[in-house]
Amino acid sequence: MIEVKNLGKNFKKKIAVDDVSMYLDEGESVGLLGPNGAGKSTTISMISTLLPPTKGTVKYNGKNVLKEPEELRPILGVVPQEIALYEELSAYENMSFFGKVYGISGKKLEDKIQETLDLVGLKERQKDAVETYSGGMKRRINIAVALMHDPEILIMDEPTVGIDPQSRNYILEMVRKLNRERGLTVLYTSHYMEEVEKLCDRVYIMDHGQIIASGTKEELKSILSNEETIQIQVEETKSEFRDLLSSQEGVNQVLEDEAGYNLIVSKGEQLLGEIFDHAKQANIKIIGIHVKTPTLEDVFLHLTGRKLRD
Amino acid sequence: MLNVFMLQWKRLIKQPLLVLLFIGLTVLFVYFMGGAQINSTVKIPVYSETLTEAELTDWIERLNKDASIIFEPTDYETAKEDIRMNEIGFALELEEDTYRILAGRQDEQLPVIEQQLNQILTEQFRLEEVRKEFPTSEIEVKDFITLLESQLVETGSAQTQYQLQILVGMAFYFSVYTILFLQISLVEEKRMGTWNRLIFSPISKTKLYLGHLSYYYLVGLVQILLSFYILTNLLGIDLGTNYLPMAAITLAFLFAIVSLGILITALVPSPQSLQVVIPIITTSMAMLSGAFWPLEIVSNRFLLFIAELMPLKHGLQGLIDAILYEPSISELLQPIGILLLMGILFMGSGINLMERVSKT
Repeated sequence: MIEVKNLGKNFKKKIAVDDVSMYLDEGESVGLLGPNGAGKSTTISMISTLLPPTKGTVKYNGKNVLKEPEELRPILGVVPQEIALYEELSAYENMSFFGKVYGISGKKLEDKIQETLDLVGLKERQKDAVETYSGGMKRRINIAVALMHDPEILIMDEPTVGIDPQSRNYILEMVRKLNRERGLTVLYTSHYMEEVEKLCDRVYIMDHGQIIASGTKEELKSILSNEETIQIQVEETKSEFRDLLSSQEGVNQVLEDEAGYNLIVSKGEQLLGEIFDHAKQANIKIIGIHVKTPTLEDVFLHLTGRKLRD
Repeated sequence: MLNVFMLQWKRLIKQPLLVLLFIGLTVLFVYFMGGAQINSTVKIPVYSETLTEAELTDWIERLNKDASIIFEPTDYETAKEDIRMNEIGFALELEEDTYRILAGRQDEQLPVIEQQLNQILTEQFRLEEVRKEFPTSEIEVKDFITLLESQLVETGSAQTQYQLQILVGMAFYFSVYTILFLQISLVEEKRMGTWNRLIFSPISKTKLYLGHLSYYYLVGLVQILLSFYILTNLLGIDLGTNYLPMAAITLAFLFAIVSLGILITALVPSPQSLQVVIPIITTSMAMLSGAFWPLEIVSNRFLLFIAELMPLKHGLQGLIDAILYEPSISELLQPIGILLLMGILFMGSGINLMERVSKT
């Protein structure tokens, strides 16, 4: 459906996106995962024909959309990271306006507004000004507006940034429903691993403007098939303990955060005894310890040496 | 295009404060700057210690034929007390063949009024002498130089010209403010993403720009018309009936200002910076263009040259000329042409720059 080849974008001397290639098949849900500043937004701006690339091509059903953007734009629904709404107007007025610019009018427009408001769960508040909405409600209307013209492809740029967990779950469920039940093709960018893991069939992992890994969730996790993660929660972190863990045979990587340490270890290694010994030696009190199978977060950590939200 | 245009009006109706504020400010400024002058007929208390009451009343009647100064009878003691209490600046003492001014302080009006008084009283004293010489003859005053007077009748007095200068200057000045401030919304739309949403829609970019620009244009026009309507009714300023040339110059002026706004928003693509830049540009342009004072009092050649580059100068001058001299449109082709040319240049470079910025 959409094929991106060797896409690149330079802002003066800074390389924002470098040689990105990806594809999107009809009806699938694809995640673009990466930390802030990885180049995700720039990539989707180029795919959606808003930003001309420095190099590369974007094809929709074999046609170069960079030369013929009108081929792609009408079937595209874009949910930007910002709340792209007229906040002094009501949800109804916003949806009515964006519906009209797509040529929808009369009863069809009214039906479409009510159907979409129903989908995002804001039918009761439709006449209130958007500026009076909570962050989560604004995000839902932001999505609703992008759905007014029944797009075939929905490109979502971090649609859950800065909202409460309840609203986030609502949005994730809604997107999943749109993808599974209506067959909408979704390109979902996020730096929240759990969102991409929950929603997407395939994932592209981006860092520093490049795709560093891609595949189905299972394929990506198989990168770490010979490894597992041990999470250690401590009362207080100490460099001495970290050094001891790093020098321990069988420990491939040690990452420290505010709660403690994450160790990526070779699968099957029995290291719990050694960990407690090192804690005793460094005079560290262990609060909890947890051995888990790898997540996409661990894959990112493995590939970049950093956490997604560093 | 119509959808975009109507949406902007809907937004304005929800938040009309800015436009109402600028219309209010126009009325307020013109009323106090021009209106105060309009109704300010100078009143001068007159007394005499040598003339009889009947003679003084007779003199006052004759003096009051000039409408700009009103002479009121009083007595010396009252005049002295009023001057002491600072209630009046000065009073006039009339003698049989001369006059004196009793002044309590330096008054900026005094030299001007003294000059006028001198003119009126000298004429009256001469007439009095002639009447004494020929007590039985009918005396008729004839104007020998009529050319200058007819010119003044056509162009209006200096005071009328000042009122017009203030009315047109302030109405145009605040309309520039409104238009430029409204154009910040264009930058905001680009920032918050609604502009991009519309780029995806079937609306062409040309229609998108036209929807916005025609809205700014119409708001500016409505504001100017409302200001003129309110102020001419409130202050009784006569704008004449030369409607077509007046409309032509106003429409050309608005085109130049909307285009200037596009250029400014392209050069300063941040709403916060624009809120600082717009008042600076607008006020300095108004000062240089003669919106606050007539350009005739400016002698610096460089400033006069800069004024020529300002659309406000050409709009202002053009409209005042259209009201005072009642020319045809063809006689106003120069200011209209300059304004249209400025508009095309500003618009072309502004949109070009804006589009180039959005692609990088």
